[in-house]
This record gives sequence, C-alpha cells and structure tokens, in this order.
Amino acid sequence: MTPWIKRNDRGNKPGIRIFDEPYLVINIFFTGVIVLIIAYSCFFSPEKDNYPVQCIHEKITGKPCPSCGLSHSFSLILRGRIDEAYDWNGKGMTVFIFFVSQLIMRILFSWIFIRHQSVRKQLMMFDIIGSSVLFLITFTPFIVYILRF
Amino acid sequence: MEDLSNPTAQNNQQNTEKPANQTLGIAALITAIITFVMAVIPCIGVIAIIPGIIAIVLAAVGLSQASRNDSPRGLLLAGMIIGVVASLLAFSQIFFTGRIISHSDRWGREIQNVVKDVRKDVLKDLEDANISIKVQNGDEEVEITTSIDRKDREQTLEELEKGNVPANDSLDKKK
Repeated sequence: MTPWIKRNDRGNKPGIRIFDEPYLVINIFFTGVIVLIIAYSCFFSPEKDNYPVQCIHEKITGKPCPSCGLSHSFSLILRGRIDEAYDWNGKGMTVFIFFVSQLIMRILFSWIFIRHQSVRKQLMMFDIIGSSVLFLITFTPFIVYILRF
Repeated sequence: MEDLSNPTAQNNQQNTEKPANQTLGIAALITAIITFVMAVIPCIGVIAIIPGIIAIVLAAVGLSQASRNDSPRGLLLAGMIIGVVASLLAFSQIFFTGRIISHSDRWGREIQNVVKDVRKDVLKDLEDANISIKVQNGDEEVEITTSIDRKDREQTLEELEKGNVPANDSLDKKK
C-alpha cells in the first residue's frame, strides 16, 4: 500500500503519496546511498585496513591518485581523528562534507517539498543548481587530474 | 481481452503505463547521478561504466514507452543526458588508465636510463683506478698490479704493436 505522508489541515483529504513524487523518491534513495557510505566508513577500520575497494591506478603505477585514501579518511573523520584523516587524503574532508551536506539537503528539501507545495519548482531548481555547484567545488581536483592526462 | 477502442480502457492503460515510465525515469536518473559521482573518482571511475550503461538502457526503454503513449519524458531525458555524460566520463577513465600504463612504461624506461647512466659514471670513475691483487701462500707471495687507465691501455696497445712488454702491468714474485 502506498504510504500517505500528510493529511491537509481539515484532516479529511489525503496529502502527498511518497512514491507518486519522483523528487521524494530520488531524495529517499540518495539518503539511503549516503547512509550506506557512512555505514561503510564506520564498518571498515583503518587499523585493520580491510577495505574491499582498491585503487586501480595505484596498483598499475605504484603512485597514489588524488582519490586514494578516501575510505581511510572517511573512517578516521567518523572516529574523530581529523589530523590523521588529512594525512590519508587532503581532500577527504571536503568530500565528506559534500556527502553530509547532501544528506542534510535531501532530508531538509524533502520536508520543505511536503510542507510547502507552492515553492516546489523553485525548491527543485535551487536543489539542482546548488547540488551541481557543490559537486563541482568538491570534485574539481579529481576532474582536473583526470583531464590532465 | 481488454477493448482498447473503449475510452475508459484507454485511460486505464495510460494510468498503468504512466507510473511505469515514471519509475523507469527515476531509476535512470538515480543510476545516472551515481554513475556521474563514481566517474569523477579516479579510483573507481572505470567501474562506473556498468551503472552508466544501465542508466542509458533504462532511459532508452522509458523514452520508447513514453513516445508510444505520449506521457511526460522530462525525467527520462534528464536520466539519459546525465547517463550519457557520466558514461563518457567513465569511458574516458579507460583511456586515462591506458595513458597511465603507457606513462608507467615510460617511467620504467626512464629508470633503466638512470641505471645505465649511473653504471657509466661508475665505470668512468673506475677507469683511472689501479688494481692490485696480492696472493700469499706460505712464504710465496704473488702480486698482480694493473691499471685500467684508458691512456695506459692505449699506450700498452701501442707497445704491444711495437713488440714491447707492457710497462704498466707487472707480475712480481717474491720469496
């Protein structure tokens, strides 16, 4: 059965169906993905070094790429060891902040989407532009590294 | 069997196909965005080809369905565009990896050249050295002294040509 989010002020008419709104579905999905990323960083330990993902470039060249050590960095940030996180990857904190901000944005924007139906279009535009700008700011060093070769 | 000439039946069909298109659009868009994020991370960029292809396929299927029943295709188009761009980025990672491999070959060659240079330098340094080997067996002692100086070698060669004994190398037998 499709869950109902909210009834209107009178309480006699149904409000938004979550799965009828693509924006809400996308937000829920991305919230789940970000939670999984955080869970992954919590689960795998930097001491045991048991991360399943290994860098292809480091394997080939023996030289680390800009995204090497991101998993270690995330795990260390979540454990409160910020200095060590910077040692593993200097951009780890920026990427972590991007994911956390996205998590907050997904929850906040979903809430605004449900509550204020009159600003939905503006909200979605703001979300698309804001997220794109944040993405570019965060991942520009990686894109530059890829395009440099 | 459902009679599609009936307007109610057509409406029912549209109602069932619209959510299907929408679901495809959402799936395509989500997959495309995930592909995009993965594609810009050098470590996992190559893997992003798989979700990229999935996103394109989902969007293409959705678009073909949408063109049949005239349903909105904004999500599908967004999914398709982001999916294509993300897949291109992911594909570029293959070339990127190839470039790295070729670079690593070059690094190997560079290392070999450095080793060759060092070897040359060492040999050059040793060229002017004198080598003396002393063998002692009880009272008997044999000493072999030689110089590998280039000038000496040239001189020795000239003397050998003239029939003289080499001046620099000597074999002393002491008792």
